Amino acid sequence: MYRYDEFDAALVRERVEEFRDQVERRASGALTEDQFKPLRLMNGVYLQLHAYMLRVAVPYGVMSGAQMRRLAHIARVYDKGYGHFTTRCNIQYNWPALTDLPAILSELAEVEMHAIQTSGNCIRNTTTDVFAGAADDELEDPRPWCEVIRQWSTIHPEFSFLPRKFKIAVVAAEKDRAAIRTHDVGLQIVKGADGGTAFRVFVGGGQGRLPHIAQEIAPAVPGHELLAYLTAILRAWNLLGRRDNIHKARIKILVASLGIDAFRTEVDKHFATLRQEDLRIPDAELTRIQSYFTPPVFADLPKTSAAFDRAVLADPDFARFSRNNIRRHKQPGYASVIVSLKPVDGVPGDITDAQMDLVADLAERYSFDEVRAAYEQNLVLPHVRLDDTPALWRELLAAGLATPNADLVTDIIACPGLDYCSLANARSIPVAQALSRQLGDLDYQERVGPVRINMSGCINACGHHHVGHIGVLGVDRKGEEYYQITVGGSPDEQAALGEIVGRSLPSEEVAPAIARALDRYLEVRTEGERFIDTVRRLGADPFRDAIYETADAVA
Amino acid sequence: MQWLESVQNGPRLSVTTPLEEVETAAANTDALVLEFDAFRDGRGFSLASILRERGYAGRLIAAGHVLPDQARHLRRSGFDAVELSPGADIETWKRMDTAFDAAYQPAEEKAQTIWQRRAAARASTPPRETPPKPDGDLQALADRLNAQVADAGPAQILTAALDPALGLNTAAISSFGAESAALLHLIAEQDRSVPVVFLETGQHFFQTLQYRSQLSEKLGLSDVRLVTPDATEKADLDARDDLWKTDADACCDLRKTRPLARATAGFSALITGRKRYQNEDRAELLPFEVLDGVLRINPLAAWTAEDVEDHLVAHDLPRHPLVDQGYLSIGCWPCTRAVEAGEDARAGRWSGLDKTECGIHLGRSQPIAA
Repeated sequence: MYRYDEFDAALVRERVEEFRDQVERRASGALTEDQFKPLRLMNGVYLQLHAYMLRVAVPYGVMSGAQMRRLAHIARVYDKGYGHFTTRCNIQYNWPALTDLPAILSELAEVEMHAIQTSGNCIRNTTTDVFAGAADDELEDPRPWCEVIRQWSTIHPEFSFLPRKFKIAVVAAEKDRAAIRTHDVGLQIVKGADGGTAFRVFVGGGQGRLPHIAQEIAPAVPGHELLAYLTAILRAWNLLGRRDNIHKARIKILVASLGIDAFRTEVDKHFATLRQEDLRIPDAELTRIQSYFTPPVFADLPKTSAAFDRAVLADPDFARFSRNNIRRHKQPGYASVIVSLKPVDGVPGDITDAQMDLVADLAERYSFDEVRAAYEQNLVLPHVRLDDTPALWRELLAAGLATPNADLVTDIIACPGLDYCSLANARSIPVAQALSRQLGDLDYQERVGPVRINMSGCINACGHHHVGHIGVLGVDRKGEEYYQITVGGSPDEQAALGEIVGRSLPSEEVAPAIARALDRYLEVRTEGERFIDTVRRLGADPFRDAIYETADAVA
Repeated sequence: MQWLESVQNGPRLSVTTPLEEVETAAANTDALVLEFDAFRDGRGFSLASILRERGYAGRLIAAGHVLPDQARHLRRSGFDAVELSPGADIETWKRMDTAFDAAYQPAEEKAQTIWQRRAAARASTPPRETPPKPDGDLQALADRLNAQVADAGPAQILTAALDPALGLNTAAISSFGAESAALLHLIAEQDRSVPVVFLETGQHFFQTLQYRSQLSEKLGLSDVRLVTPDATEKADLDARDDLWKTDADACCDLRKTRPLARATAGFSALITGRKRYQNEDRAELLPFEVLDGVLRINPLAAWTAEDVEDHLVAHDLPRHPLVDQGYLSIGCWPCTRAVEAGEDARAGRWSGLDKTECGIHLGRSQPIAA
């Protein structure tokens, strides 16, 4: 993984000092709260319902054991013993004291981490495929390009005061495991005409109040032109994007209102006059960055593992874990292991300090000192010997981290909701917990197969409800928490927005209603058909009927 | 960058003005004022960048609602002056303008970007010895370092070993035993974040575990890693935790050698606390040596028990609770006993067996893979 050199380290230190200066000027009154707010947000500091919240960047979701251990330490010393992994692959602390923030940022800097640009109207943390460097279907490892984008976008002189936030995601396979079409810019690595790296560029995706699926703006931008092309996109939006209405400021609104072709013309105009040579990342620099991502020294192993096969036969619980949470690896004899942060009755994405310490140990012992944060709010140990998976599983199990539900119905994405968030209309966590109880039976979950349930506590859609196969949105109905249900959304290469099925439900009716929809699916599916494919074949109607069945019978 | 305390002459346009109009105005003047309606409205940064890229060479002055925290954004986007609002603190503007020594991305300024500075550093320094990988190169490095530190004390040896220019990825291994505090203290003096690997064999004295926590906290060690035996291997080989009774070598292999190999797989250098005086096997020990493709660093090689004692006293370091009871070298409880006066310090280890080392400091005689 990437390691800081003297320049990276100096910049993060200087950023901590700059923030200290800003905090002092706020305290002295030299900065008003209105002036201070965007500055603190660009350092990851929010003011939430009960306390300040600090969002720490996990660049493209990659961490070392030492970094994970430091995150645990911060949770233990400065917070209430836990942290929350987000759908942007970052980690949030909900209870830090404002006065501790400089100390926390210094502790992070020691392990080459920071909270820069995790909030505010700037370019946010770039995300990617959680299986980058391990997946057997990628064209190349996308992480070096994410690091290039991280460096280029850090404290950008032109793009630090944009109309709104700006999010970039990168994948390197046909299969989209980073939901790139829900981002302001989605990049898919493809083979260029000259055989080199090129980027298929999507623009104008986003969720929130007015969701849009990103549209293709360029089929293959050569790698050396990537930063110039991104600059042209941001420049067009920075000049033309709306600033009068916060809900209409994202690039998706500009692209939708101009139309993709007119927007492309704007971008091309800027692209033509940019000093592209300056923005061309030097080959030596790209090579330097790529050298940090060379694959670990894998052992030469057979494709199959007797230890793994024995454990599958001997232990049905391990067999279930292996079916659901272990993924194929490009290297024979290795696998990627998903560490679920979605136990029954848990808070999706939450993890305790002791669990983080354990994951750090396991990463060091079993996965070449690497752990990843997935946008689905789980962790992944990317490079584990198949031989080691039974032992690894036993340790995860003992720590409550072996819930075998990756991509199943209880692998729920959920925002913190009204329990923490000052924007929320409704709570997310209790509804997610009720769903995990209602749908928790593992045999049932495996019978139902892959279904993504996403839930947000408000229209800002941090919980990705628009692109859940089943989406749940918290709304405020005359002071009561209600929940609107959508079906048919999808975050991947067949990205789609879910359809609202009808009137919203009170919280206690959500889990039973979704259970009825899933039962209906089991009745009407054809052999081997996934839930989302059944919805695509039959439309939302059968599920709408199931969702409102009981309510209507009573009414 | 100029900090202007008076209102400037020349065309004055709001940053909300469409680009074409700004370009027209710029074409007819050699001093253009762009007025920010709100500091949050970042259009001015793009307007300035575009004007500069398209060849505008006149003065470009920022005015209106701008913050000192935006000084370097303004400068790097192509502004050469800021019209300060009344009461602005010019010192804050200057301080925030120089808050950062360098930036990654190219912009409208002469200063070199971080990318260019990296390239320049690569070109100007004689090709640095590439981080040594194969044993041959490592041995050469060890020889060079041994010559370099021939008369140096432990602190200088550590400084040499932790030089980032060597490109090493270094960890320390420690038993948190009778003498460990000396080495850990010397390491913490230089870098508290050096990973310290502790073999949690599951057979340690309770006092050792207590001492580990106490000492780590006292020294501020931020990355102490506990390494346990592989659960599957342990289930296969020593389910009842009594392997030490029948085969101490196999027990050390299961609980120390194999876990250490796994835990240190990513490191190219390991710091140990071994000393020549400890037993005859260690009498020839050098500060730097190569073992199994890893550089071993032994900063205390030349120290005697008295040197260690002096260091512990001088720095008021906590003692392992068992030292008072006559334990001079402390390992797992089944294989450690106190020593009598006059015995060599490690005589209490595997006492009665023809064994003096657990194996983690010996070369690999056979592949570790199970």
